[in-house]
Amino acid sequence: MKSDDTSRRDFLLTGLLTGATLTGCSNGPNPFEDKVTAMIKPSGKMVKLLSVDGEVIEVDEAFLKPVDLPPVSNIEARKGIPGKKFVMVIDLSRCKSVKACQSACNHAHDLNPGDNWIKVYAMQDAEHTAPYWEPSTCMHCDEPPCVKVCPVDATFKREDGIVLIDSDRCIGCRFCMAACPYSTRVFNWGEPEIPKEVAAKPYSCETSIPQKKGTVGKCDFCADMTRKGELPHCVSACPNGVFFFGDMVEDTVTNGAETFRFSDLIRDKAGYRMMEDLGTKPSVYYLPPVNRNFPFEDDEDSVKDKHEKIKS
Amino acid sequence: MDIPARQKIIDDLLPKKFGTKGRVWVAVLLVICIIGMVAYARQLSSGLVVTSMRDYASWGIYISNFVFFVAISLVGSLITAVLRLVNVKWSTPLTRIAEIIAVSAITFAAIIIVVDMGRPERFYNLFLYGRLQSPIIWDVIVITTYFFISLLLLYFPLLPDFKIMIESRKVAGKFLNKIYSFLGSFWKNTPKQIKISRRSIRLLSITIIPVAFAIHTVTSWLFATTYRPGWDSTNFGAYFISGAFLVGAGAVLVAMYIFRDVYHLEKYITINHFDRMSKIVVLLALVYLYFNVNEFLVPAFKMKKTDADHLLGLFTGEYSTIFWFAISASMFLPILILINRKGRKPFPAFIAGSLVVVGSWFKRYLIVTPTLLHPFLPMTDVPESYKHYFPSWEEWAIAMGSLAGMLLIITIFARLFPIIPIQETISEKENEV
Amino acid sequence: MKYKFTYYALTIAFTLLTSGICLAQAEKNKLILGLGYFNDNNQIQYLKAGTKAKINGRFTPVGLIHLSFYISSESPSHLLGKATTDDKGQAVLMMPPSAKDEWDKSPKQTFLVVSDSSDLYNGTTTSIDLTKARIKIDTTEDKKIVVTLLEQKDSAWVPVPKVDLKIAIKRLGGDLNVSETPTYTTDSLGIAEAEYKYVNLPGDSAGNLILIASVEDNDVYGNLTSEKTVPWGTDSKYISKYNSRSLFARRGWSPIWLEWMAYSITAGVWLILFYLFVQIRKLRKLGA
Repeated sequence: MKSDDTSRRDFLLTGLLTGATLTGCSNGPNPFEDKVTAMIKPSGKMVKLLSVDGEVIEVDEAFLKPVDLPPVSNIEARKGIPGKKFVMVIDLSRCKSVKACQSACNHAHDLNPGDNWIKVYAMQDAEHTAPYWEPSTCMHCDEPPCVKVCPVDATFKREDGIVLIDSDRCIGCRFCMAACPYSTRVFNWGEPEIPKEVAAKPYSCETSIPQKKGTVGKCDFCADMTRKGELPHCVSACPNGVFFFGDMVEDTVTNGAETFRFSDLIRDKAGYRMMEDLGTKPSVYYLPPVNRNFPFEDDEDSVKDKHEKIKS
Repeated sequence: MDIPARQKIIDDLLPKKFGTKGRVWVAVLLVICIIGMVAYARQLSSGLVVTSMRDYASWGIYISNFVFFVAISLVGSLITAVLRLVNVKWSTPLTRIAEIIAVSAITFAAIIIVVDMGRPERFYNLFLYGRLQSPIIWDVIVITTYFFISLLLLYFPLLPDFKIMIESRKVAGKFLNKIYSFLGSFWKNTPKQIKISRRSIRLLSITIIPVAFAIHTVTSWLFATTYRPGWDSTNFGAYFISGAFLVGAGAVLVAMYIFRDVYHLEKYITINHFDRMSKIVVLLALVYLYFNVNEFLVPAFKMKKTDADHLLGLFTGEYSTIFWFAISASMFLPILILINRKGRKPFPAFIAGSLVVVGSWFKRYLIVTPTLLHPFLPMTDVPESYKHYFPSWEEWAIAMGSLAGMLLIITIFARLFPIIPIQETISEKENEV
Repeated sequence: MKYKFTYYALTIAFTLLTSGICLAQAEKNKLILGLGYFNDNNQIQYLKAGTKAKINGRFTPVGLIHLSFYISSESPSHLLGKATTDDKGQAVLMMPPSAKDEWDKSPKQTFLVVSDSSDLYNGTTTSIDLTKARIKIDTTEDKKIVVTLLEQKDSAWVPVPKVDLKIAIKRLGGDLNVSETPTYTTDSLGIAEAEYKYVNLPGDSAGNLILIASVEDNDVYGNLTSEKTVPWGTDSKYISKYNSRSLFARRGWSPIWLEWMAYSITAGVWLILFYLFVQIRKLRKLGA
């Protein structure tokens, strides 16, 4: 059977366990463990398991479940994960406008139907250049114009580069929407049409669930997933491997199946950023649509939308 | 000055009860306000979805109304402060009209901005969690400051008139007399008091000018600090301020005419006043025209890709009717009317002033929404209705309600207080003689 | 005569309708069940089952399916445990101590998973056969990586040739291959070798990298991993602009020049206002 390799991440904290069972100490921080495991506190409840060698061993229950971190406080959510800088690379030569990214994102965040955080643009830069599909998420700019103008600190940039929105703070002035040149923000004009159970969930900036009336929403780089060491939903959902995600500090990006050294990928495939001249310093890089996997096929909707726009 | 002459001035200028016209006027304004409040109640319960604003046109006529109100409120600094400082005497009858327009407008600017918020109940977040880096916070600071300065600039010159009003008990009822006493019974017209008052008014007049410049410059920066075509302009501060002076002066022309007509103030607001005020309007319209040329001709010369769609939309596209109407009504037509001696008579001046005000309202709309409908990236993955904007009935009701509210405050003020400063008029007539 | 015709027509219609409904009910959707065995770093082992069904022409994972896991055979004494699939259609069972007897019996094992039938899906069962194997990763001074794969035959561990491995560096969400070679295959001694070729690859703050050797989805051996930490990376110290003043920083962290300008202008004007309020008080006193 095919198993999801990424879910290996969900799981066992092999470094810590090896340390724990060998040294007999299960509480000291292991300097080699990744930061995800460091955040899990031993519950004290031990579970008996059969080891590979046929021995019965005891492991703390907290390390066994799929990583289930306690809900993050607002202060922690505003700070982010220090020492990391998340980037995304979108390979335009692979995009076929399947929009699985869009539906996975909308579903995972329980968005109001019709609000799309990911938009797939039919782009054609000039009259004689070739058209291509360009999916775009929030750029999580390093000099975000939206954060500059927010009057109440409802949108903010964290240590790990992610720009989040606090829907409990937002006053709905929509200045950030006017300031963003990438048209990436959406507004909950009315009460979001979401199931009651979703609307009753306690709000977290990292999950961005539930969306609230009269506040702004946008792509959050799935901050809750990245905190657990998992990939954002759009990255996992794309059948063509268009989205790559990773930590620039580790200099690696992956789309789940393929992993590349980020600096090599950008150098070899001439990666660039959208609207570089505006000075927003986006965290999303694009790989030009060279040697495409699919021809550009217009459907009716995109014919209406297609415009000539500058790409940088 | 002999007593009868003095008394005549007082009798002419004391606030009068509403006649039929006045009552009808107030009733109409109240009805419009109430419809606006009903519409706002709907908006509060369902959210901003009752408007036609959507993800692309995310700012609509609430924001253009806000800009319009802030613009009009600059008239206080122009007429009252600037002309006072230059020791122009003929503007005395107009100062209170200008000031109450200013105070009323700035009040409704604050109100309409809260109406535009998605979460008005979180208004206090601005004070609890405010970020100094945000132009909105700058706007909150300057608007509050300007409100208090304008209020003081209304209050100080009103002090001598309280004494007169209290003395003339026969006009006011017991309730109103109580208000006058509370506000200004301490004014005894002693030389010391006069000196303090004069100095304070002078200080206010000086202070209000930079604050007035600040208020409209900061409001213009709500747009100019973004990258969008039509907004990304270094010209915006001066452009907005010149437009604000123009619409304020136009509003004064309208108010002058109406008060003169309704309260029979022909002796105080004379043909000369219309003549001089009209000349000021012509001057301001020419200055504003100059800034408009800079604002549109220069980008049109270059036709940068991002600007091109926007400019063509204004000049020849879907906004062309409104654009050319606004330009003609706020600048060309008033200049043509008022440049002629005959045009500076009260009634033509009133028409020109009305054109200025109406044209300016549409001009503010053109500043706000068309830019938003020409984003950098094509409008994608949204319903067709998101790609256009025409305000819903709730938006119209609320916008008109706010305008009616502003007029209502001015009307009620004129009912309670003399719309032309009595004491100053007396002093001036004495000086003339 | 007229009524009789109507009567027959109604009866036939009703029968067709109900049988149609019954047929529709009888046809439950087919559930595709998969099972995998995982051995992480030669310590913890677990089984993972995944469900899929064709809904609206697309294969989608199915949640809330109750599964039972067995070792060797589907009998109550061989029950390892039960689990329910989550919304990604996956369920996991850690190997419990109760499996010890069967586990010790032989190097070859069989695991089964059975799904309970529900309103929408028929019950199904899947099994996998497993040969116990062990993977070990070792490194040398000159950054060469040696991975050994052994399987258990009787009571001895023998090398396994011709198995494809991945040798990579553990990164967020995925593993970065140590060199350009797509896969590494074990030779007759069960050994696969790789060379760490990266220059200046960032490690953690101490410069450490975690190497991982893995066998993935092998029909005989399941999924095996082995990890080793090596100090071959550069120490990565990333300091963001979070703690510096800027126009896009959080409240209280605006640039100094802005704070000076804004506060001094506001203070200046408000001092004037305050002075004017004092003047009003003076006027009151003078007139009292």
